[in-house]
Amino acid sequence: MSEIKVDTLTGKTTANDITVTVGATATMSLEQGLAKAWTSINQSTPAIIQSLNTASITDSGVGVIDPNFTNNMNAVGWCSIASLRNTGNYVHATILTDTTSKCRAQSLINANTGEDSVDIGVANYGDLA
Amino acid sequence: MAGKIIADTLEHSTAGSIATNYVVDGSAKSWVNFNGTGTIASRDSLNVSGLVDNAVGDYTCTYTSSMGNSDYVNSSVAMCEDANARGPFALGVRIDGTGVPTTHTTTATRYEYLYGASASSDGGTQDAPHLYIIVHGDLA
Repeated sequence: MSEIKVDTLTGKTTANDITVTVGATATMSLEQGLAKAWTSINQSTPAIIQSLNTASITDSGVGVIDPNFTNNMNAVGWCSIASLRNTGNYVHATILTDTTSKCRAQSLINANTGEDSVDIGVANYGDLA
Repeated sequence: MAGKIIADTLEHSTAGSIATNYVVDGSAKSWVNFNGTGTIASRDSLNVSGLVDNAVGDYTCTYTSSMGNSDYVNSSVAMCEDANARGPFALGVRIDGTGVPTTHTTTATRYEYLYGASASSDGGTQDAPHLYIIVHGDLA
């Protein structure tokens, strides 16, 4: 077994370009495949349950929550995913807006009415600034 | 010539360690943010060679590097921009009448965006301007 002890991985040619073998022969960019932020939030409190690259959250209305990034994304157009856990209602999660500094997510019940959920999770992929 | 390191574990001086298989297996192998209205177009993506507009709310995403098998995981969500407020909606892998994915192969996945039923609408497919898809699994 081999082990590398290191605090930072930096590409030799381009700082954020490190190639990883991810299949029998296929390779891909390490940086591109990593989630740049993820946040698990209790909207009832509201409070962050666990997170990566999330400086804070903003309660922007019933069912609406903004995870604010510590390090911003480089541009809009990044990809995100959201899911949630709620008690007693048929609910679904959606993304309302994406900016370089935050991702606004919403917990919805039937007829698209906002409702706070006990656990809404958001993950973001793309490039950091 | 670029260097190459073969390792089973990465260890940070203070933040703990991680087996490199978690880096490899935990990394998304494909993701895309695209506009599914009009002439569909990707805003940004990883490992996506093309998007096909099959019909209203019906899209196929093809991969540049193929997946290693067809058991990969798709996560998807759409931005809520339905002015008609027609109830819960979902972006997911398109299935046939028996629950089998229409297209979920090593080279492509077919998705469908559905809106929920309401008093004024029975539900169905719909185009959406902000669609997000992330794929995890093994590449070939």
